[in-house]
Amino acid sequence: MSVKVEKIEGGTPHTTIMVAGLIASVVLIYLTYLNVLTDTQYFSFFGGLATVAALVWGSHAIKNLCSYGIGTGVPSAGMIAFGSGVIAMLFATKYGILAPVVAVILAALIGVILGYVANNILNMRIPVMIQSLVEMAIIGALVLMGYAAMMTGSFEFSSLTTGSVSFLGLSLPSYQASFLGGALIATAFMLGAIAIQHPFNACLGPNWTQDRMLMLAAECGFLSMITAAVMSMPLIPLSAALVSLFVAIVGWYYTYSKYIELSRRDAAAWLDSKPIPDVEGH
Amino acid sequence: MSAVAAKPTAGAAVDMTAMIIGLIILLIVIAATYFYLGSGLAFMALIGVIIGGVLIGFGVHFVPVGGAPAAMGQAPGIATGVAMLAAGAGLAGLFGGAWAAEQGVVVATITGAVGGGLMMAITCMFVNFIYVYGMGIPSASGKVAKDPITGDTQAEFKSQGTEGHGLPFVSYVGGVIGGLFGGAGGTLIYIMLLEVYQEELPRMMTALPSQVLPIAVALAGMFAIGIFLVNAVLAAYNITGTIEGPHDPKFKRFPRAIVASAVASAVCGIVAIMIVAL
Repeated sequence: MSVKVEKIEGGTPHTTIMVAGLIASVVLIYLTYLNVLTDTQYFSFFGGLATVAALVWGSHAIKNLCSYGIGTGVPSAGMIAFGSGVIAMLFATKYGILAPVVAVILAALIGVILGYVANNILNMRIPVMIQSLVEMAIIGALVLMGYAAMMTGSFEFSSLTTGSVSFLGLSLPSYQASFLGGALIATAFMLGAIAIQHPFNACLGPNWTQDRMLMLAAECGFLSMITAAVMSMPLIPLSAALVSLFVAIVGWYYTYSKYIELSRRDAAAWLDSKPIPDVEGH
Repeated sequence: MSAVAAKPTAGAAVDMTAMIIGLIILLIVIAATYFYLGSGLAFMALIGVIIGGVLIGFGVHFVPVGGAPAAMGQAPGIATGVAMLAAGAGLAGLFGGAWAAEQGVVVATITGAVGGGLMMAITCMFVNFIYVYGMGIPSASGKVAKDPITGDTQAEFKSQGTEGHGLPFVSYVGGVIGGLFGGAGGTLIYIMLLEVYQEELPRMMTALPSQVLPIAVALAGMFAIGIFLVNAVLAAYNITGTIEGPHDPKFKRFPRAIVASAVASAVCGIVAIMIVAL
């Protein structure tokens, strides 16, 4: 029987964060469908907000699992989340408008089997193992789908595989200038996998506080969203990409300043040193 | 039990019931693929993915993973986690093998193995450079009295209060073997999936084979990376973090990891194949 080596006390219970994260990210991914209804690409930034919601939930799910001391380091949890999530996400994109729902169901199925394998065949015997790996797979799938929706304006297989290049003023379809064909998905994979594991890795320890870790998760999410917004520029109209970039930078600045504030609150003492100290008397 | 003494409890015990259930899931997946898709390319691809996954899961057990204690010179091995090391070796192998994809499965798989082994050999060499000349610690295993390959005694080099330190010769050899297995497994998964996608995607997307090549390569690459990471992390769970190499007692746990990798790869593999077959 495993023993918890980290405390989980106070703050919002994990179930609340899980339900809120799941509903928020699925609804936000669906809001990118406004692109199709209004025939523009301006609502792509909702995909990025969906990734932030899923990453906040993900960092707490990692906290929930790794508080049992799995012995392999926190980054491995982020890797298995996206390794299983990418498989469910890519398969689900075939189902058109149902894609986010199919991704959640299929990721849960893969997560149950991986959880059973880890917990029973590999004899880990961690009480939250199966539930955590289910959550991880769903989060991985939703984050990747969020990035896909943000970079291409859609979450359907045909839009992810077909882009367009303009040649002498003509717009030609191209499979290379797309989310999948251009392998932007590989970058999205690592943007998400690092953002999901970093908050708990950075905040763990006896001084752990929930609001600080979740704020860092949101900050990492927005930081990844800035990069994703830049990467979306070749695939969606520049004005829509700039809307995403603006939302990401505003969100990042807000969460970053909040995170610094919370870090100062939790620190025993701090000295406001400047990046380049003023040198006097030389 | 105090929090400090709480260690992961994945002991060496084998849960036979769970192993049998795992094998049943494996057989169901294989049978379902055979039933729906016949014994053609897709079925062979699934078998290839399972073999590749097992190679990865088995190979991770050879790699000397030291983790944080190794960084402080208190345990032997490379000072990082399993997921990072396996991903490094496997992806280096995968990229190496992907260059040789046109020359057939055998050449590509061997190229991938060489790529993974080379990456681990270079990593192990520079790790030892840093240990010996940077940190000033000799290489000594804490798990065996004599190095199984060179026969060098270990005890007189081992500092008191540590589990050994540095990277003994047998761990170096283990790392290279692990890289060979990991690189071969990753490349095999990539090649098998690439063949299926090159065959099926033009029909599915009604486009020329040369047009869909970027999609086929990206899909096969992403699925290979996903399946690779799943197998590497499951193998890491099996050895609960750190291992010295093939001479470590934890190495004897590998049968569990083989079943686990086979089940996980089969489940992920059937989804990866169904994306074009359904």
